[in-house]
Amino acid sequence: MNFKPLGDSALLISFGEVIDEEVNDRVHALTKAIAGAGFEWLVEVVPAYSSLAVIYDPKLIDFEGVKRAVEGLDVRAERVGGRLVEIPVLYGGEYGPDLEFVAQYNGLTPEEVIEIHSKPIYRVYFLGFLPGFAYLGGMDERVATPRLEKPRLKVPAGSVGIAGKQTGIYPLESPGGWRIIGRTPLRLFNPPREPPTLLRPGDRVKFVPIDKEEFDELYRAEWGNEND
Amino acid sequence: MIELISVPSLLTIQDSGRKGYRKLGVPTSGYMDDYSARIANYLVGNSGDAPLLEFLLMGPTIRFNASAVFAIAGDVEVRLNGVPVEPWTSHWAKRGDILEVGALRSGLYGYIAFAGGIKCKPLLGSCSTYAKAGLGRPLKAGDVLNLGYAILTGREGKRLPEELRPDYSAQEITVGVILGPDLEHFTEEGVSTFLSEAYTVTPESDRMGYRLDGKTIEHSEKGAGIVTSPLVPGSVQVPPNGKPIVMMRDAQTTGGYSKIGVVISAHRHRLAQLRPGFRVRFREVSVEEARKELLRKEKTLEAIRLLLEGKMRAYRMKIGEEEEIVFVG
Repeated sequence: MNFKPLGDSALLISFGEVIDEEVNDRVHALTKAIAGAGFEWLVEVVPAYSSLAVIYDPKLIDFEGVKRAVEGLDVRAERVGGRLVEIPVLYGGEYGPDLEFVAQYNGLTPEEVIEIHSKPIYRVYFLGFLPGFAYLGGMDERVATPRLEKPRLKVPAGSVGIAGKQTGIYPLESPGGWRIIGRTPLRLFNPPREPPTLLRPGDRVKFVPIDKEEFDELYRAEWGNEND
Repeated sequence: MIELISVPSLLTIQDSGRKGYRKLGVPTSGYMDDYSARIANYLVGNSGDAPLLEFLLMGPTIRFNASAVFAIAGDVEVRLNGVPVEPWTSHWAKRGDILEVGALRSGLYGYIAFAGGIKCKPLLGSCSTYAKAGLGRPLKAGDVLNLGYAILTGREGKRLPEELRPDYSAQEITVGVILGPDLEHFTEEGVSTFLSEAYTVTPESDRMGYRLDGKTIEHSEKGAGIVTSPLVPGSVQVPPNGKPIVMMRDAQTTGGYSKIGVVISAHRHRLAQLRPGFRVRFREVSVEEARKELLRKEKTLEAIRLLLEGKMRAYRMKIGEEEEIVFVG
């Protein structure tokens, strides 16, 4: 474990620069231990792949004090037990405009891409980049595809994409360069809801292919009251 | 109740920011210049973190539909029913009055605070606007805002002495920075370039980050990319082109570019007020020194609050070469 200041109100704890499930388990175990210790100076803990930031109130404690408090914690190494979240996806067509390209690029049929992409149980390493955006691990490299040469100006919320060896879901409408292969009708970020994100760090994700009818039904249920 | 008659530039509701949602990817947001914003709130008798209006360069025109007490923080011309009134001072407005806030003569962000604060439904524990995720939206002409309940009597006529008003006119400033955490991604020369050169704020800067131009910062053989790790406002990321980007209040919560340093909290409001074309230099400070600076800033703000409540007096004193303001309780 390596401790460094991240400015004057955060401590960065790093387990090395790696993307690894076991290391990420340690990150989440420590995150949980710090968040649950009841430190009055703690603002929040932000986990990532192999590091976490402990945000503290410098009016109440200094860097050395935070370091000592963290070192003094009894952290049990454990597999982080997240929930299994099923994410329905309508693959291809207007909702997955790059499915054909991903198939061609990898010498597969679109049906094979769907099968390969929806088979694994993905791991939510952490959330970042945009509210509700999950960094997922575990994609089969047979469907890996480089990003678009020119990013799209608008990618709709719920779009499921591939960028290199990564896969992910856009929680909000945003510009983006990922290859979009489908869309989920679920809302990944919904501010009035508590917690506001569908996915949480440590969760597991399974994509489930659905048809247009199911998509429309779920979409109405999730987004129907949007303009109330 | 107030109504926005014209909104010439970016106008948002901000408070001290969102806490506790960064692990879900939600930025803190909140006022860019905490120093000015908090003083604006103190001038009208609010707590420092009450929701207020933040404008970029140019202020709005507002109609009051009921009596209110307001104050403006910023180097700006203010008119109430066409008559100039002083900024950094709280004023009484009555039903039908028109407030016009002009263009900032210096600095980038100005604040308009109202006694009782702006009433709003907090989203994820804060009224700060982060439009990208549907957490509020920029305000536009025709919007009507409700103000929180407050006893107005005795809140008007508070004035921040001129010598206590922040001066954001300098074309070049120096801010403290704590080096790291990704120093091994830079050569020694890269770090010394960062600490010795002046960097110019470019027009591609916003509430999310200030992109700087200047001498290229050299990466080590480890390169510009890191395994994505947490980011905080103030973080200085250096992408492959070697030009630093300072993350500001709407900063994303994690990032994949190496961080050469983090601008200290006590100085971030000064950086926030730097206009495009102006320059910043970075001076290395220790974590302990940064904390002392922050505690000093907090003490000054607390003294200003007490001064405005009439519980303290301020004197200008010459201490050695430096002229300082001394607060006496």
